[in-house]
Order: sequence, then C-alpha cells, then structure tokens
Amino acid sequence: MTAKILYIYLPYLAAAVFVIGVASRIYTWAKTPVPLRIVTTPAPKTRGGVALRLIGDALWFPSLFKADKLLWFAGILFHTLLWLVLLRHLRFFLYPVPGWVEGVQTAGLYAGYGIPFPLALLLARRLVLERNLYLSILGDYFTLLLLLGIAASGILLKVFFPAYLVDVKDIVLGLGHLMPRAYDLPWLFGLHFFLVLLLLIYFPFSKLMHSGGLFFSPTRNQRANFEERFVNPWDVPVSYNPNNLFPPEKYRQELAAPAGGRKE
Amino acid sequence: MRFPVPVPGIKTGASKHVVCYPAKEKDMVKIDLPKTRREDWKEAMIKKMAEMLDKYRSLRVYLDTCVKCGACADKCQFFLGTGDPKNMPVARADLLRKVYKKYFTLGGKIWGRANEAEDLTPELLQDWVVYFYQCSECRRCSVFCPYGIDTAEITMAAREIMAASGIATKYVTEVVAKVYDTGNNLGIWAPAWKDNCAFLEEDLRDTEGIEIKFPVDAVGAEVLLVPPSADNFVNTDTMIGYGKMFRAAGISWTTSTYCNEGGNFGMFLNYANLKKVNNRILEAARQLKVKKVYWGE
Repeated sequence: MTAKILYIYLPYLAAAVFVIGVASRIYTWAKTPVPLRIVTTPAPKTRGGVALRLIGDALWFPSLFKADKLLWFAGILFHTLLWLVLLRHLRFFLYPVPGWVEGVQTAGLYAGYGIPFPLALLLARRLVLERNLYLSILGDYFTLLLLLGIAASGILLKVFFPAYLVDVKDIVLGLGHLMPRAYDLPWLFGLHFFLVLLLLIYFPFSKLMHSGGLFFSPTRNQRANFEERFVNPWDVPVSYNPNNLFPPEKYRQELAAPAGGRKE
Repeated sequence: MRFPVPVPGIKTGASKHVVCYPAKEKDMVKIDLPKTRREDWKEAMIKKMAEMLDKYRSLRVYLDTCVKCGACADKCQFFLGTGDPKNMPVARADLLRKVYKKYFTLGGKIWGRANEAEDLTPELLQDWVVYFYQCSECRRCSVFCPYGIDTAEITMAAREIMAASGIATKYVTEVVAKVYDTGNNLGIWAPAWKDNCAFLEEDLRDTEGIEIKFPVDAVGAEVLLVPPSADNFVNTDTMIGYGKMFRAAGISWTTSTYCNEGGNFGMFLNYANLKKVNNRILEAARQLKVKKVYWGE
C-alpha cells in the first residue's frame, strides 16, 4: 500500500499541483496590465534585443555579478550543476535513451557529486552574513535543506546503496504512459523520490517561481523605445482643475496691474 | 567594479524615529484624499492593495519573485547611511509582502507566519509610514537585482495604498496642493511670477545693458518653457540663461502662470495626482497655443 501511495497516487498529485499551480501563477502575471514604462536602462530598443537580454539574465546573471561576486559564483554554479543533473535524469524518462542524453551522463554524474557544495555555500551565506540572517525566512532554509536532502540521498543512491535500475525506470516510464506500477524499492530511493515530489508540490507556492518571474519583470522585458508612445491600458481621464483655469480667475485683478510690483 | 563602501552591520531600529510630518487636512482636501486617517483604515488599505495588484504587473511579479538573496541590501544609500535593516530594499518590500502573503496568496494562508504572512497591525502600519518614506525611489536596487525587482514600484504602491486611507506626509501633499493653487511647487503666485520676470528684465538692462523679454502667458508663442519654479525665485541665473538662449536662437517663447513647474510630486503620492500634475503641461500648452514645450527637471 505504501508503495502504491508513493509511486502512483503521490506522483500524479504532485504533477497536477505543479502544472496547475505554475500555470495559474503565470496566468495571473500575464493578465495583469503594465501601466507604465519602467525599464531599467541601459536597455535594448528592439524585441530581439529584449529576448537576448532575458536569455543572458537567465543564463549568467549579469546583475548579480555586478552586485555580489560570491553570491554570483554560488548561484551560477548551483544552477549549472542543476541543469546537468536534470539532463542526466532524462534517461529515466525516455526510452530509448537518445544519444545526447547518454553524452551528458558523465558530466551529470560529477555535477550531482558537486551540487551540495554551492548549496552549502548559499546556506552558510544566510547564516554567517548578519544582514542575510535578518532577512531570511523559514521558506529560504526549507528550500535549501530540501535541495540538500535530494542531493544527499541521490549521491548515496549512486555511490553506496543503488536501487535496481530496471524497477526505477519501469515506475517512471509507467507513470508517463499512464500505466503506473508500484514495486518495493529500497527506502533510500523512496526518500529521494518523495523529496522530489515534495519540491514539485512546494514549487508553485514559493519563491522558486523566480524562474518564471524574471520573464515577466517589466524592468527587464520592456524596450527602451522612448520615442514611441506608451499607452496605459487602464488610464483614467484627468479633468481640468476648475479652481485654476487660464488666466487664473482669482488673480485676474493682480495680473491686470502693470508689472513692477507693489511699491512700498 | 564595486565602489568600496564599508557595509554597516545591522543596527535594528536605527532610523525608526525618522518620521515625516503628517499631512494637513486643508491640503488633503485639495488633492482628493481623505482628510485624516480613515476609521476603517485597515479594510480600506487591503481593498486598495487588491486594486493595485490587479493594475500593476510589476507589483504582483515583484512580490512573488523575490528570493531574498540580499544582493540589493548594500546597494541602498538609506541602508548604507543608517544601518537599519528595514532599510534594505528587500526588507522594505517585505513590509508590504507580509500583508500581501496574508491576504492574497495560498502559501500565506496555508503556512501563515512561517511563510512570513502577517496582518496589517498598527505596529506594522507604523513601520510602513517610517520606512516607505525612507526611500527616494532611485531604483538603484533594480539594477543589481537578478530579476530586476524595482523596490520603487513597491514603495510607490505602498504610499498610494496609505494615501487612499488618508495617510500621507505634509511635505508631499502640501507641494501637490500648491501646484493646483499657484501652478508651481514653491507656491509663487501668478502676480509674483510676472513681477519676478519684470525684475529680471530690468536687472539685465541695468547690469549688462541688454534688452531681453521674459514673456508670461503670451498666447501664440512658439515655445512654452516649463522650468523648475526655483529658477525664477532663487536660481535666477538659470532663468536669465533661458532668456539669453532663446534670444540667441531667435525663438519666441513664454512661461505660463498656470504651469510654471516641471517637477512632479504626485510621483510620491498616487497615480491620479501624478497624472493630474503632468497634465497641466498639456493644458497650458493648449491654452497658450504653442507649438513646442521645453520642459526641464
């Protein structure tokens, strides 16, 4: 029964929460209007330029590089290693395994071994730097510890306590082909799998949505085409101020007097 | 390269006592805001926040996206100057984010305080009044944020939310009210403006022996000049400079007593006043039938 819950019901629940949660969050962002042009300059003038800027921001975090070198290093190392690990895990989801996935296996393996390092660095940064300790909330630690847990269980699975790969692949492919199967696998694999599902469920409600938020950030996805008029979709008309028409009624007498002022 | 500024350690509550004077009732009336703090200020603020969230994508995305990495912390001059941790851009935004999470996100409703969701208590409101007015909206933090989170957007939203329930500062509301009264931030009334221009003409004739006109409300001029009003009051050399420049270029020009100020304090208050103050420039240009507007500040 436990195996059934863990390998059949929970994965579908997690997938549903993840997909619906992320989609609804992105839908809310997309439907909210952008009233003003607030792009952070220097900014590109064309849509193509904006696309390049966003890709650059997503891949190598130039703003963070300007802001904090250590944080940039930890951040970019973590995200790069995460990509490699994710690509390596594609071998569980695809059958037959494509050549390029086989090609990243070795890189992905070492990335997996390395990933606790930047995570520990990010965690230490929060604890050691006084101002980061002040602003960190429970969710920040939870995310880091969850990722550390996933990485640690994954490494242990690879190095010391391997699970029977055919069963693992059968479970994952079965889920994908809507023919779910449950096996009794070692508890360590169960833990690894469970933590990943937990991450998926937590994702849409948390700061992990920063991965999508960047592309909806008006300071980054707008163009610097200031010569074009920017129209506010919910703009409200402004009426004349009846107290202050031209020439101001209340000053009519004073204005009519010759310039030179009131002499004493 | 980063400018080598020593980053202060945090000093909790270091600038807590720096509070602006509250707005005066007579000014609040003139700028279409509640006279004093509304009885139902909390409900009014939550309602306004819901409205703002539906109007500004920036606000919603920035409240959702922040990962609290702290890259912005030592980029804010208010934090560098005071060391007060609530002056870190991320912590400043958190003052609003707490309430946003409590009322508008599922995560905040499920996990509550563990997810930093917090009710808008009088103590939190006090923090809003203090720290949302210790931001100059320079947007430096948005340059360094990996997601471009612009704390100025959040500060402006918070100020608009507070203004909607009758909480604002004297400095800002007084200036905006003056603009509607006299046409400029300094409160120079029309006869004084005209008089100052005549004085400058006289002064130039006496000291430099040149004949330059400083036209006021001249219908049909080519250019409407919208200077900072201080240029006709304290920095008169700048005003003289405008006159000389226009004479050398041979352009006919005028200032308007309806709109003789380009600075816009509506920016620090709310959208309605921001637009109204800027709209004066257009109104003045139409009234005076000019072809162009030269607009400083």
